[in-house]
Amino acid sequence: MTILHSARALGAPHLRLAATALAALLSLLPARTAAALNVVTTTEGLAGLAKEAGGDKVQVQSLSRGIQDPHFVDANPALAVKLRGADLLVDVGLDLEIGWLPPLVNQSRNAEIQPNGPRRFTAASVIHVLDVPTGPVDRSMGDLHPAGNPHFMDDPRAAVAVVAGLARKLSQLDPANAATYAQRSADFQRRIDADLARWKAAFAPLRGRPIVAQHQTMSYFLEWTGLRAAGYLEPKPGVPPPPSHLADLVQIVKAQGAKAILVENYYDTRSAEVVSHHTGAKVVLIPGDVGGLPGTGTYESYLDTLVRLVAGAVR
Amino acid sequence: MHSFFVAALVAAAQGALAAEPPGPPPPGQAAEQKKLEEEIAKELGAAPAPAPGQPGPGAAPAPDAQPAIGGNPYARILMLPDISAIGDFAGTYHNLDVGSLSPRSGAYGAPHELTPHFEELELGLQSVIDPYARADIFISFSPGGVDVEEAYLTTLALPAGFQVRAGKFLSPFGRLNQQHPHVWDFVDAPLAMDRLLSADSLKGPGLDVAWLAPLPWFVELHLAGQTAQPSFIEEDRRTLVARLQQFFDVGDGATLGVGLSGARIQEPLAGASRQLGGVDLMLKIRPVNTRSYVVFQGELFTRRMSGTEEAGTATGGYLQAVFRDGPFYAYGLRGELAPAVVAGTTLVQPGSGTERRLSALVEWLPSEFQRLRAQVAWDHLPDGHDGFEGTLHLEFVIGAHGAHPF
Repeated sequence: MTILHSARALGAPHLRLAATALAALLSLLPARTAAALNVVTTTEGLAGLAKEAGGDKVQVQSLSRGIQDPHFVDANPALAVKLRGADLLVDVGLDLEIGWLPPLVNQSRNAEIQPNGPRRFTAASVIHVLDVPTGPVDRSMGDLHPAGNPHFMDDPRAAVAVVAGLARKLSQLDPANAATYAQRSADFQRRIDADLARWKAAFAPLRGRPIVAQHQTMSYFLEWTGLRAAGYLEPKPGVPPPPSHLADLVQIVKAQGAKAILVENYYDTRSAEVVSHHTGAKVVLIPGDVGGLPGTGTYESYLDTLVRLVAGAVR
Repeated sequence: MHSFFVAALVAAAQGALAAEPPGPPPPGQAAEQKKLEEEIAKELGAAPAPAPGQPGPGAAPAPDAQPAIGGNPYARILMLPDISAIGDFAGTYHNLDVGSLSPRSGAYGAPHELTPHFEELELGLQSVIDPYARADIFISFSPGGVDVEEAYLTTLALPAGFQVRAGKFLSPFGRLNQQHPHVWDFVDAPLAMDRLLSADSLKGPGLDVAWLAPLPWFVELHLAGQTAQPSFIEEDRRTLVARLQQFFDVGDGATLGVGLSGARIQEPLAGASRQLGGVDLMLKIRPVNTRSYVVFQGELFTRRMSGTEEAGTATGGYLQAVFRDGPFYAYGLRGELAPAVVAGTTLVQPGSGTERRLSALVEWLPSEFQRLRAQVAWDHLPDGHDGFEGTLHLEFVIGAHGAHPF
């Protein structure tokens, strides 16, 4: 009665307007669609791998972009909104996202994506981690990752392991499509095995050739390609090189005949250019992740590009 | 030299011993030993220990590599919370008698004197409590003594977008008030925040209920009840705070934050009241593939008092722009309007005029873990006094300090 009364007082047009506005607002609400699992990844590379594992059974969005330095993403609360409705959060781990992911997860109100939660998958948990410090670690050694090297996206074997792990995780969350996830993971492995043979063939004549990198971001890549680091632009991770370090590096590059200075394209290139100027070694801007350069939207296209750029420069 | 040599010898001898561990006694000797042990046990009235090699039910023989306690010997260390310490030190020069003419929370010394300051050492302890909640504890050591700056539990698993903080925490009012001073871009708080809100951040024990609205952008509503100490009052007052906070993505690499805050703080005199209002705006522009960015930020504070000697409405605020130039440098500019105080007091009264301050900042960050800032300011009081201020500020962090909210 009261409602009716106030409806009359408001007038039907107002009510209709209010109803339309409410409907419009409700349509904006993030609804958990039954059809596809909502997978949120911290990086574009992981998003690429989640798509490989999930296909059309998952909806994937990344919190950061491939052109971004994954250490320094802003903990923008807009990202917490993406995490609120996540059926699965996929992170790299090894403290790569320590500067921005924890506050977002806490703000998200999604208890199940907390570390060790049932809807959290940390990719580093299924790969063979390199550069794990064996002795005491402190920040006099630069801004290093005390748990090990998190830059494993440039290792196809790690990518295969992550996709297999994702397929297992997705099967737990969505048992009805377990066969699809397993199949897709097997397909991905088959494709990467074939690619790997091709990529390794490209590097076979280049085994042992020296390169220069920003810091130890290329450890995994060097391991499977057989290239080796003659030196690093940064004396320690995150520490800008003093002229003395670059002068030493110039001598090393000259002595060892390194032809390429590999720099992820989100880093400043001034130091690389100085070394290049004094040695003739070529500065190669490489994608830091899937999506880091135009035409690298999938994992295979990213690695194809990386292999082409590096092999081309080292040859 | 001599004692070092002896110590080295002892260490070497121990090393040698360790390298050749004593083997098990021969069988005959072992039986004798066992017999003696049983005899002694009988004399003492205690049960003999189970013979070695006959483990109890369920016990697994430990492999040689495993330490005596089994499992991971570092378990205790793994369970430690994140521990961090942040040190803040400053050197100041003012040509104005700041203490009596322009009271504030930032560091200052006697006029025309270069004064070194130990501002604060903040000890942080942060960890999850259990699968349902986490705890953040910040203890502040300062020349004024030791204070628990914040110590609160945050729920992680409440349904329907709710999150509750319980304990002692910074009131969810405005932007700077919710940040620890070491997060601020400038070395000191805006004068209006000191005089209208609190000179030591509005904070206190209580409960904060926050609701994240189910909308596609970030909309959070806070309602908090706590006791807090408003500007220049060293007495706990019952405080109710409400805040609506929103963040929008505006284009690629730009974020806009808008907040509205209100608080009602109890006054001891009958019929007296204190109400606070605040608006805050923040626009951060950062091309995604760089570490450089620009942040424009401003806050407006207003206070309405009745039934006290400060009765009336007072308003003030600041507007600042900070340019972070890559990983190592930042530059800032801040303009402020604040209600001036009645000279020699901390009272803001109608007609006490407006104080204007302009600050410029240069910041050098040798690494992510320390920064050195130089800030100069020009302070203009309504009675015509002009003040020059210079501050050199050093800050460092050690240990694992949790990432700060945006």
